[in-house]
Amino acid sequence: MAAILFGGSGQREPEKDTIAIIQASYIYNIAKLVEWREPAMRQGPFVIGVLGSDNLYQELVNKYATRSIGRQPIEVRKLPEMPEVDRCHILFVPASAKGLLAAILRQENARSTLVVTDFPDALASGAVVNFITAKNTLKYEISLVNANRHRIDVGLTLKQLADKVVE
Amino acid sequence: MKRTISIAVCAFGLAVLAFAQEDLLGKANQAYQAGDLQGARSLVDQAIKEPHLASAPETWVLRGFIYKDLYREAPSAQAGMLRDEALASLYKGIRTDSARQYAESSTPAYFYLASTIYNDAVRSLNELEPEAAIRFHVKYSETLRRLVPDTVLTDRNVEFGNALGTVYIKLFSEDRLNLAWYDKAVAAYKHVLDLDSANYGANYNLATLYYNRGVYNIQRISADNDIPSIQQIQEVSREFFTLALPYMLKAHHMNPGRAETILGLEGIHYSLQDEEESKRYRHLYEELEHDERPEKDQ
Repeated sequence: MAAILFGGSGQREPEKDTIAIIQASYIYNIAKLVEWREPAMRQGPFVIGVLGSDNLYQELVNKYATRSIGRQPIEVRKLPEMPEVDRCHILFVPASAKGLLAAILRQENARSTLVVTDFPDALASGAVVNFITAKNTLKYEISLVNANRHRIDVGLTLKQLADKVVE
Repeated sequence: MKRTISIAVCAFGLAVLAFAQEDLLGKANQAYQAGDLQGARSLVDQAIKEPHLASAPETWVLRGFIYKDLYREAPSAQAGMLRDEALASLYKGIRTDSARQYAESSTPAYFYLASTIYNDAVRSLNELEPEAAIRFHVKYSETLRRLVPDTVLTDRNVEFGNALGTVYIKLFSEDRLNLAWYDKAVAAYKHVLDLDSANYGANYNLATLYYNRGVYNIQRISADNDIPSIQQIQEVSREFFTLALPYMLKAHHMNPGRAETILGLEGIHYSLQDEEESKRYRHLYEELEHDERPEKDQ
């Protein structure tokens, strides 16, 4: 059958990585539905940092890097899996880097960063948004406590559409 | 009038009939033997209007052979009609030949012509003309069953159904917005599975068709999609992934060493957000890498 879509060995091809495609779309929508209180975060490029996760990075670049959040053009950065991260509006920390989360959150650069994760108990570890699986689909849970700690206001829509809200 | 008839058959069913020369049928045969197919056609068409010749099997057998050869030489636009005439004549010749005097030549000629109809079905598939292919395939089945009503065509129907499904997939891949091709591909493979539920190709292809459709829906997510629409798209895709799973599992159980079904299951479980199962199949695939895995993938 010619139209087979499964990949071979090694990493899944980006266009077949359904989870990465959905995560990227969520991240873009999250960016539109929150506000950063810190004035410095409302100017310059809107930076989305990605640790690891090649396919998510690729998807963000392909579909969203030419967009803007408000007047801030989106800039997608692939970051090395280290505690020292660039100053980002949104930072995706995958399960493979969960050991770095605590150290990242201690960084001055991360004090206004909305950290997005995809592993269990990530909200308890300081993430603002965590991707979860519910009924074979990808959803998200959100911590308003952590959002507040990072001086981020979460819009009503993002709260209402979350699978779980920690207040 | 008494006729002396003998028939010899060469590899392609060429009949040699010897008739008394004054007979209309004999003249038709003489023209046929001389290669004058148009002359033979005119004479044999006159012969069938003569009551005493119209009731004789040899008239229809000879007419069948003349039209068969005309069919083989005809341009494609006229070929179908000539073949129909040949088949109808041979059928009448076989049915009226109660002594089975000409069966040795007329029956193979009939089956030869039937096989050309199947070949036309295959050619239509190759030319991505599925509707024509179906017409030829139906006609092929009817032609065989007219002579042998209890002919079993399951294998042929399975072969044709799988090929038809592949053609619909090709047409769908050229025009992803035309879901009619997709629906027809699904129907073709389901029909194959109705005939043979253990058909590996149909199980695998149907699973892949459902899976690809689920993936394609997700691939179409763009910056214009809001969160409710993302969730809606996922639910639709989940249905396709769920539909794909049992067919891929069945194909896998039929042939556990095939990398394609292991990767298929890995992909389906991944898209169903079932990380544990996805990893299990990925691990199975990696175990294949050093032995059963196709060389080109290594």
